[in-house]
Amino acid sequence: MSEAAKVLEVRDLHAGYDAYDVLRGVSLNVGSAERVGLFGPNGHGKTTLLNTVSKVIVPRKGSISFMGEPLAGLSSRRIVERGLIHVPQANTLFPDMEIMETLELAAFTERARGERKANLDYVLKLFPRLAERRRQQCRTLSGGERQMLSIGVGLMCAPRMLMLDEPTLGLSPKLKEELAIAIAGIGARGMPMLIVEQDISFVLSLVDRMYFVDHGEIAREIDRGSDVDHQEIMDMYFGEHAAP
Amino acid sequence: MTADTISAVFVSGIVLASVYALMASGLSLVWTTLGIFNFAHGALMTLAAYVAWTVSDAAGLGLWLGAGIAVAIAAAVGAGILMERLIVRPFYDHRDILLITVMTTLAAMIFIEKGSQLVWGARLKQLRPIVPGQVNFLGTTISAQETLIIVLAPVILGLLWLFLRNSRIGRGIRAVGQNPNAARLIGIDVSRLFIITFALSAALAGLTGVLLGSVRMVTPAFGSEPLVKALIIVIFGGLGSLGGTILAAYLIGLLEAALIFFIGIYWAPSMIFILLIVVLLVRPQGLLGKVVR
Repeated sequence: MSEAAKVLEVRDLHAGYDAYDVLRGVSLNVGSAERVGLFGPNGHGKTTLLNTVSKVIVPRKGSISFMGEPLAGLSSRRIVERGLIHVPQANTLFPDMEIMETLELAAFTERARGERKANLDYVLKLFPRLAERRRQQCRTLSGGERQMLSIGVGLMCAPRMLMLDEPTLGLSPKLKEELAIAIAGIGARGMPMLIVEQDISFVLSLVDRMYFVDHGEIAREIDRGSDVDHQEIMDMYFGEHAAP
Repeated sequence: MTADTISAVFVSGIVLASVYALMASGLSLVWTTLGIFNFAHGALMTLAAYVAWTVSDAAGLGLWLGAGIAVAIAAAVGAGILMERLIVRPFYDHRDILLITVMTTLAAMIFIEKGSQLVWGARLKQLRPIVPGQVNFLGTTISAQETLIIVLAPVILGLLWLFLRNSRIGRGIRAVGQNPNAARLIGIDVSRLFIITFALSAALAGLTGVLLGSVRMVTPAFGSEPLVKALIIVIFGGLGSLGGTILAAYLIGLLEAALIFFIGIYWAPSMIFILLIVVLLVRPQGLLGKVVR
């Protein structure tokens, strides 16, 4: 892949909380219009990685560049302005705000305000349920609706790339399916995406390529075309000796 | 009890309530957004009243009253921003921010109170009223200035409500209060909105100070005295609910006026507190507060 085609490039990233290092030299990249998955056991750094890219936490070492420009020293707000949007895990959003208010507010940066109308139309078409419940407060939404709103909020930020952290966490299979269709639809418009998931079949159905994150490092890169079978992935996940 | 007394009690209650509502909504705004109580809120009122007096009174610069009010509100906003920067901001990431800022804002209150005593002396001062004369309101004669307060309070609070509900910055302020992390991830500059919130609250304090400064005597304790009640009102109305704060302000203002009439000025405050305690036993979350799980 050529340099120019890389939308997000992370090199040798170290980050963590207090004295504890969670990420120990992660390198990965996402190309234009590419959907990339991150999977691996809980507590091995997937969420920390997204938090570090969006500057919720500050990296200790390593570099991150987005669309060819380094993100060092930029605040979360600047990163949103550039269009790198992080949809965090189990986002409770703004409990006392209504759905429409929240979506309108999410187009906060100047660039996002310019695209507000078009993005709002798209979000409401993508998730008709949000349109039906436009006056409902965030606190009263179900898990699935909240997840839809979270992704909708991300889209209202006028993304040039989306990072989704476990978009189907705790949802029923039916809702998962609904969200998978929506996410695939966003991808089909050429949106580069980095998707964190635990559900391996879910993520396989959505992405072009995957990284397996283990102990704060990229343990393996898997192309969709490669002949890694399901059992092999299960082994990575649960360890070699897990029963089939 | 005649209709005249009822009207007199009601009118004095409404005046009191309007002042409480203006004060408490400034406190409530800072609480809802930053999660702290600003004990120096009343001191900002005092500062504004003194500044307005200095600029506009004949014994001071003797300028037009409007100039005094404008300078006073600007001074309150300036002091508010300074307070946020110096005594609140350093503790944002501290998990005991609430307790620490109780101390720092109390210190600021004492600082402003004693400082104004040094600068302006202990002699009572009074601002000229914005509107002179008397008005007959519901059969009771009150000063035109008090009428102005009665009319202006709901207008200002209504504007504040519209701002928070419909404007981009106002919605941003609410969002930051409800979930600062989610706000950051949609590109909101959280610390900038904290400053704007503090400035807005200080402007409300300043405005309350200049309105009240011609009705009551301005002393160094001019704003700190009603502050305790404003604090109680914020809790009584339900933490985090501006509507609850305003409702509580009007209820307590009216109640206080009635109690003063029936049991006298000495026992009224303690009776109010007892009633509040009883209400909070039944509804710990306050009138319109939400139950936090």
